Amino acid sequence: VKGMSRAYVRVLIVWVVTLTALYVFQRAFS
Amino acid sequence: MHWIDWTIIATYLTWIVWDGLRMTKRAHNIEGYFLASRSIPWWAVGLSVMATQLSAITMIGTTGQGYVFGMSLLQYYYALPIAMILVSLTFVPFFHNARVFTAYEYLERRFDGKTRSLTALLFLLSRGMSTGVVISAPAVVLSVMLGVDVTTTCLLIGLPTALYTMFGGVQAVTWTDVKQMFLIVFGLVAAVIVLIMGLPDSVGIGEALTIAGATGRLQTMDFRVDPTITYTFWSGTLGALFLFVSYFGTDQSQVQRFLTARSVDEARTSLLMSAYWKIPLQGLVLIIGVFMFLFYIFTPPPMLFNPVHDRQIRQSARAGDYLALEQRFSDAIEARRKAAEAAAAMDRGGDAVARSLSEAAFLGADERVKQVRAQAVELVREVSGDRTYNDVNYVFPTFVMTHLPVGLIGLLMAAIFAAAMSTISAELASLSTATVIDFYRRFGHGQSADDRKLLIVSRLSTGAWAVFASVVAVFAAEMGSLIEVVNRFGSFFYGSILGVFLLAIGWPRANGTGASVGLFAGMATVGYVATTTSIGFLWHNLIGAVAVFVVGVIVSAITGGRPVPASGAR
Repeated sequence: VKGMSRAYVRVLIVWVVTLTALYVFQRAFS
Repeated sequence: MHWIDWTIIATYLTWIVWDGLRMTKRAHNIEGYFLASRSIPWWAVGLSVMATQLSAITMIGTTGQGYVFGMSLLQYYYALPIAMILVSLTFVPFFHNARVFTAYEYLERRFDGKTRSLTALLFLLSRGMSTGVVISAPAVVLSVMLGVDVTTTCLLIGLPTALYTMFGGVQAVTWTDVKQMFLIVFGLVAAVIVLIMGLPDSVGIGEALTIAGATGRLQTMDFRVDPTITYTFWSGTLGALFLFVSYFGTDQSQVQRFLTARSVDEARTSLLMSAYWKIPLQGLVLIIGVFMFLFYIFTPPPMLFNPVHDRQIRQSARAGDYLALEQRFSDAIEARRKAAEAAAAMDRGGDAVARSLSEAAFLGADERVKQVRAQAVELVREVSGDRTYNDVNYVFPTFVMTHLPVGLIGLLMAAIFAAAMSTISAELASLSTATVIDFYRRFGHGQSADDRKLLIVSRLSTGAWAVFASVVAVFAAEMGSLIEVVNRFGSFFYGSILGVFLLAIGWPRANGTGASVGLFAGMATVGYVATTTSIGFLWHNLIGAVAVFVVGVIVSAITGGRPVPASGAR
């Protein structure tokens, strides 16, 4: 269970980083 | 098309059927046939989940969307990672530990037989029809591109898939999915590389992206709060969350994927693979569209991407008008190319004022190209009588056929076949599973039927669904608007089915009557909202789920509820 909790947290971190990167990408070329 | 490309397509089709049929020996009982004896490693399940979701419509339709509208469709997938976590926490342990074959089987244990039959029936109806569309949409485009009739392309897609799914069962579905996924990603990456290399030497990638950005094609987040706009950050994170939880958590074509995993945690890990890779993969598909737009700024595009209509108009009474339009189109394209080169040069060395002036000039030139193309599309609509005509789905295949080297054309066409087949195989297997487990075995031909007999019935059922889907495909191909109808039909009850499962898992006192009444109330609400308002379709999922849940709770309370079980019987 502990292993899966860590996996979910990792997904959430990558999710936030991905969306932030997309936002920066949009701002850079608009 | 060159004989080398035909050979590649033929080799792919033969190899995938052979590869799938090899799995027949492992499908010797019903659990092996439908659930691969719960023996598939997590990474293969994960790739199969992604391959099932990525259909040929993604490869030809979404790239075209990227070409016309840019990256905004990406917002549709923002909720997917969160949905995967929710599905992993809720549905995966419930279904895995209940040792069920189908998601609907669980509803009988929780509620009653009629709730199970009703949801399974809704699944069969919508999935059966949509499998036809998944065959017909690429079949129409491939028939134009390969120059063969549409029934042939329907058969080329449907027949091999039916063969290996029928005999190899879910083992074949999963392991062919894995290989098809590699082929698809290879094809997409190859297309991006060719597109980037196709840009002129004088224009760098950064400058090219600035040009795309000026047209709004790189907008990946739209924060406007307006439910009538289809793709916004809010509809993508909230509305689509319900769609994805419903699709991955309750749709048998996906549930069956993670039921084949060895354990609950392996099933969860397989879903998290999509959580990591779906947004980048979809971004890759859409950026292909954006790069095609950039490519066709510097390399003249055809005025119409569907060559059949192009020929049709040239032979019609309006040929003169068409030629005149073509001349204007060619002038507008040339003017846009010059404006783009000037804008790129200013982006390198100009000051802010010069940059914004050159950008405005480019946007004006792009607008003129759009106007001429709109007139050409209107001309097609007049000549063909098809008021819904557009050629978005033909942009990517046309690019592949006209600008990729021999060999790569065959590979990309094989990748489109692979994308279609990986989705259809999983859908056929899930249709057959629901038919056999939720109807054949459930009613009369009970638990006592021996495994060998059930296996024969299962194979026949897979074959029957393949025939049904192919017939729908041929009809849908002839009536383009049927595709739209089927898609809307499905969205009517996606959220509602999710509502039933939420009620099952999230409201201990809910009973079968509440669930069934709630399901009808949910579908009626979505039907009403869809026909009387202009609220975007992603919100329909949320509305349906909430309506079922609320009505289900109220009706359950009125009809006496359900005694809370002592332990674990949920």
